[in-house]
Amino acid sequence: MLPWNYGFHWNAGTLIFLGAFYTVLVVVATTVIRAAFHSRRELAAHHEESIRWHSDFHDLPAADRVCRHVLTGEFKHRECPHAFDCRECETHAKLIARHPLAPPAEPEEDILGMSFPLDRFYHRGHTWVHPEADGAVTIGLDDLGRRLLGNPDAVRFPALGAHIQANGTAFQVTKRDVQIDVLAPVDGAVVATGSAAGDWCLRVKPDASGEPAFRHLLRGSEIRPWLQREMERLQLALTAEGAAPTLADGGVPVADIAAGYPKADWDAVCGEMFLRP
Amino acid sequence: MNKRYGMSIDIDKCTGCGACMVACAVENNVPALPGANDRRGITWMRVYRVDNGEEYPDRRSAFVPMLCQQCGVETPCAHVCPQQAVDVDPATGIVGQMPERCLGCRYCMAACPYHARYFNWWDPQWPAGMEKTLNPDVAPRMRGVVEKCNFCHGRYHRAKERAAAAGEKDIRPGEYIPACVEACPAGAIRFGDLNDPSSEVAAARHEAGSFRLLEKLGTDPKIYYHSTRDWVRQIAFAPKPGGKENLHG
Amino acid sequence: MDKDFIARGVKRCSTGRFLLWIAPWAALLAFGLYSAGLCLVKGLNQTNMDNRFPFGLWIFLDLTVIALGAGAFFTGFLLYILKLDELKAVISSAVVIGLVCYSGAIAVLLVDVGQPLRAWFTFWYPNVHSMLTEVTFCLSCYLTVLAIEYLPIVLKNRKLRQVPSFLVFEFELHKLIYVLAGVGTFLSFFHQGSLGGLYGVLRGRPFAFREGLAVWPSTFFLFILSAAAVGPSFIVLTTHLVEKLSRRRLVRQQALELLGRISGLLLAVYVLAKTIDTLVWINRTSPESGFPAAQYYSWKPFGTWILFAEIVLFGLAPALVLLAPRLRARRAWLVSAAGLACFGVALNRFVMTVQTLAVPTLSFDQFVSYFPSWQEIGTFLAVVAYGVLVYSLSFRYLQLFPEERELKMAQAAEESSAELVGRY
Repeated sequence: MLPWNYGFHWNAGTLIFLGAFYTVLVVVATTVIRAAFHSRRELAAHHEESIRWHSDFHDLPAADRVCRHVLTGEFKHRECPHAFDCRECETHAKLIARHPLAPPAEPEEDILGMSFPLDRFYHRGHTWVHPEADGAVTIGLDDLGRRLLGNPDAVRFPALGAHIQANGTAFQVTKRDVQIDVLAPVDGAVVATGSAAGDWCLRVKPDASGEPAFRHLLRGSEIRPWLQREMERLQLALTAEGAAPTLADGGVPVADIAAGYPKADWDAVCGEMFLRP
Repeated sequence: MNKRYGMSIDIDKCTGCGACMVACAVENNVPALPGANDRRGITWMRVYRVDNGEEYPDRRSAFVPMLCQQCGVETPCAHVCPQQAVDVDPATGIVGQMPERCLGCRYCMAACPYHARYFNWWDPQWPAGMEKTLNPDVAPRMRGVVEKCNFCHGRYHRAKERAAAAGEKDIRPGEYIPACVEACPAGAIRFGDLNDPSSEVAAARHEAGSFRLLEKLGTDPKIYYHSTRDWVRQIAFAPKPGGKENLHG
Repeated sequence: MDKDFIARGVKRCSTGRFLLWIAPWAALLAFGLYSAGLCLVKGLNQTNMDNRFPFGLWIFLDLTVIALGAGAFFTGFLLYILKLDELKAVISSAVVIGLVCYSGAIAVLLVDVGQPLRAWFTFWYPNVHSMLTEVTFCLSCYLTVLAIEYLPIVLKNRKLRQVPSFLVFEFELHKLIYVLAGVGTFLSFFHQGSLGGLYGVLRGRPFAFREGLAVWPSTFFLFILSAAAVGPSFIVLTTHLVEKLSRRRLVRQQALELLGRISGLLLAVYVLAKTIDTLVWINRTSPESGFPAAQYYSWKPFGTWILFAEIVLFGLAPALVLLAPRLRARRAWLVSAAGLACFGVALNRFVMTVQTLAVPTLSFDQFVSYFPSWQEIGTFLAVVAYGVLVYSLSFRYLQLFPEERELKMAQAAEESSAELVGRY
């Protein structure tokens, strides 16, 4: 083990054996220390929200990780490589440069019986972002999100001035003993809080403005195909979690879906729909 | 010059009296354990009885004293011990066991083809009063370690000390003799330096009828046996389950 | 009650039922710990081992368990080094099985040695020529690696990952997991091998002694091959068992079939190597030591049937089944073949441990037999119970099968479409 121990000989066998042993020790220790060191750095830089999202995204079923351009039919199969952050996606930039998003065929706001106004952007975690005149944005649950969490038992908003990160947690909603961390659609500082039942939930001063800052959000003609897919997912989730598949006929979801499916495992359904595995 | 202590045992002279076994146990402080049997007891020296497998009146028996064969090449036990609790002393050729270093993994026992190694299944204990007879030159071994014959290493050290006290460089032949050699009433066991051509053992190994056990394993044991009888010399070889000789102990 | 600790979207039985399942295993563990305690306090006289049978049930089962636990390193190697991504579905389960197998085996080894408190001597005064030194070093290093690999699985628990530092550390450690997989593969290669070398170097036991390459006898390589072959089989077997017990689908059939195919391929190579090795040993190695090989098989009950069973019945047969795509696609065939393969390796470890010691080497020596005492059996049962408990807890609270939720959804989709078809 060590040169001064009884029986230690400086020979090839000893050197190879102990050399391999100490190398293994050093490699294993370095790996753990490196991971710890990186963690400390990430924690100091407050990256935990982004890491949580990346980790969650990685755990989503492959069917839930599809690129938005698959929803619109531009690709057959494509898994999003950027964890739904199209701001860093070159493919997305190229595609929208080549084919600017066509305005929706008919200027409807009523999709599958739900209200999705076209004056705002939508996040895949079922929130919307509405740019205000003063440069701030309001954030709220979209209609499907509201129907899922309708009449929440409790809502916890971040403190005023707190900073939220896109795909981090915007606010917490409790419904039927289930706590859902709703994903934040943009980066920014919270300037005012509304109510989950009201028109909007948060008023945020975004870190960046202009089109590129909202590039990752869905809009216009993308909303309908996305929502259709979301309804399929909801139906599947309800079936899997023990509720009868009544939506199969294309029925309109009731205002409070939770109340309509008392037997469903609401925790699982909401986790599925709000992208929180 | 380095020594290579070895033994020559004349099976034809052995009467199976067991004096060597007793002398060995007394010399080396081997405990007399109440629960011990032939598979769990400690007998650094053990006398086996063999016979030629014939029926009366042709039946013949012989006694084979078995002890550590002090393998000199690729010593199986020393080779496998994970923590150098077994070593072969280059100065004497004696395969030594260091119970205070032993972990009790018993890998050496699995490695030994002669079953000459013993594990301390119990704490050592002696009947009341018998502790007064213990040999102060040999440390008793604790539970959970392996031990075996070391050619009465305590005697070797005493001989060395005496020689040093007398101002001599080395011990002379005959000054160091293991207890079993001394105790054998038939003079069947001879002991000495195999590297010394003038020693009795060095001469005995070349006698007709001299053999070693399982020589083909290639471990160069230093215990030579001797018998003029052909059927006895068969014990040198691997067991033959279908054979005529019934060599079971 | 413990709902917050169970991953979102997976169903687990109620706490009460879980406790009911745990209780008998906990009782068995308590009994086993008592047995082991007896051996530690009163000494190994509590066992039925003796000077002629210095190794017994424990060593045999340790070798078996470690061979079966090889799935952890081998799956890690296939997934992180060879990038077989399908195996992501079983890697966590494989790590838990590996951890259980190795930690259990090491715990039993510590009861098995006469002076457990001197275990560190091997590290301090290592005899680098001893196979057991290699085993000790590699086993302890690999157990450390397994524990570190298990850590991210634990930290990913739903409740624990709410702690930001756990979450971030898990994420960062998982990024480096391929390093650990590489080190684990290196270590496993050597300790699986040196466990075989343990017997192959026994010059004094011609039944076990083998020639080989450099310092490594052929058993070194045979043990690596056989362990790598049955590791995946054991994962197939355990996954199937867990699916049956929990009554849910956990892994796609393709992943299990892939494991089966790899297992079958390696098993076929192993059977070939073992056959060549046996022929060389019968015709050269053993006779050269003065031991005609035929004599080993004349000590009943160890007839040549055991050789046949080891190589053909539990080697070639499962290898062929696992290599046949049609058979392997059927769950019953796949699982039975995997079971046979595992049994075959257990038989091999039994032969190497028990038959080696039972056949006499001296002509005036006897064939000896041995039957373990209840303390020995109890100690081993403790390891079994410990394994079941650790696995059950891990299965309940940790995400061992990442595809479980997806499979549940797929099943729901099938059901709803079937219902639609039924309606019209």
